[in-house]
Amino acid sequence: MNTIAQTAQPRWKVTLNMMINPGEVVKSQMTRIPWPYSLLISGLSFTLFFLQTGLDMLRTGQIGMSTVILITMLGLFYGTAGVALIALLAWALSQGGERSYTVDWAISSFALGYSATLVYALLGIIFSLTLGWKTAVAFGVTGVLWALRPSMYTIRQMSGDRVAFSIALTTLCGAILLLGWALLGRFGI
Amino acid sequence: MEMNLGYAGPPGQSPVKFWPIYLCFMIFGILIPFSKPEPGVITFLLSFLLALVIGLLAVNILIMLLNSSNKTLSAESGGQFAREAVGTGMLFMIPFTILAGLAQLLLGWNAVMPFASAAIMTACASAGTEVMKKGAQGIKNVMIPSAIAFLLSTGWMILVGIMP
Repeated sequence: MNTIAQTAQPRWKVTLNMMINPGEVVKSQMTRIPWPYSLLISGLSFTLFFLQTGLDMLRTGQIGMSTVILITMLGLFYGTAGVALIALLAWALSQGGERSYTVDWAISSFALGYSATLVYALLGIIFSLTLGWKTAVAFGVTGVLWALRPSMYTIRQMSGDRVAFSIALTTLCGAILLLGWALLGRFGI
Repeated sequence: MEMNLGYAGPPGQSPVKFWPIYLCFMIFGILIPFSKPEPGVITFLLSFLLALVIGLLAVNILIMLLNSSNKTLSAESGGQFAREAVGTGMLFMIPFTILAGLAQLLLGWNAVMPFASAAIMTACASAGTEVMKKGAQGIKNVMIPSAIAFLLSTGWMILVGIMP
């Protein structure tokens, strides 16, 4: 693990940096970010993403308001427990423990990667509520896609810079997230 | 002041392979017409060619600009450092391409373009990161790939929109 002493940055700055330069954040800043803070970011991202999914379905008359609330709660569960489990899977497969990366570090780094998703989710919910647009795919899925880059750098860091491995594992993690969203959306109905 | 710390690439590396990157662009070219209401053969052909041209432009413009903006490193590595960085960085298109295929063919989302756009932005930004890992310094190495990716993905989206 990189233990080079660097200037401490405020958490909000690290969160924004994760969108612009995830490689640097993963390498040198993540030890200062506690996992509950990161899970708050990913939890909020998926809560808003799933809320948009529910609102889209509500507008087309597929579901009622109670199901929208259920789907939103599923989003919170997905963004916290789901993301933590995927981080755990990635940590185990990358053998992060052997390179002295802790599970806490993996969860924190993985979850903070969803900061871009949060920005997209916030924009999406604004457009959904004010203009009545269907935003789940346009903003929600796009936001999840933007989280793939930080995930790749986290996996690459944990796996000792193995490019092909990190590409394969990122694809697997992304597929689990997107397919899971599609399935949970159906379950919510 | 900008400072280059010297070429940090590994010696005796095998030649850079760009075919996986072009393959990703070609797959996007095939997937994109599925989002159209009634795609014909011409649409598929145009989309395929357009994606290939975008791919060729992305790779070659990036190599050219990264070489010309890091002259010392370029000279030290015989022009190889930018090729290696772009070749490695743009491999990160692969997850987006596979996920776009899953979304279109398995889930029927008809939303390939956001995947393509995110793919090209991420891949170019990763190429910039790779350049910096090889010893280049300066914000230009982040800005140039991002600007190229933005221009190409916007152009791609506009051309897909007006495609028959």
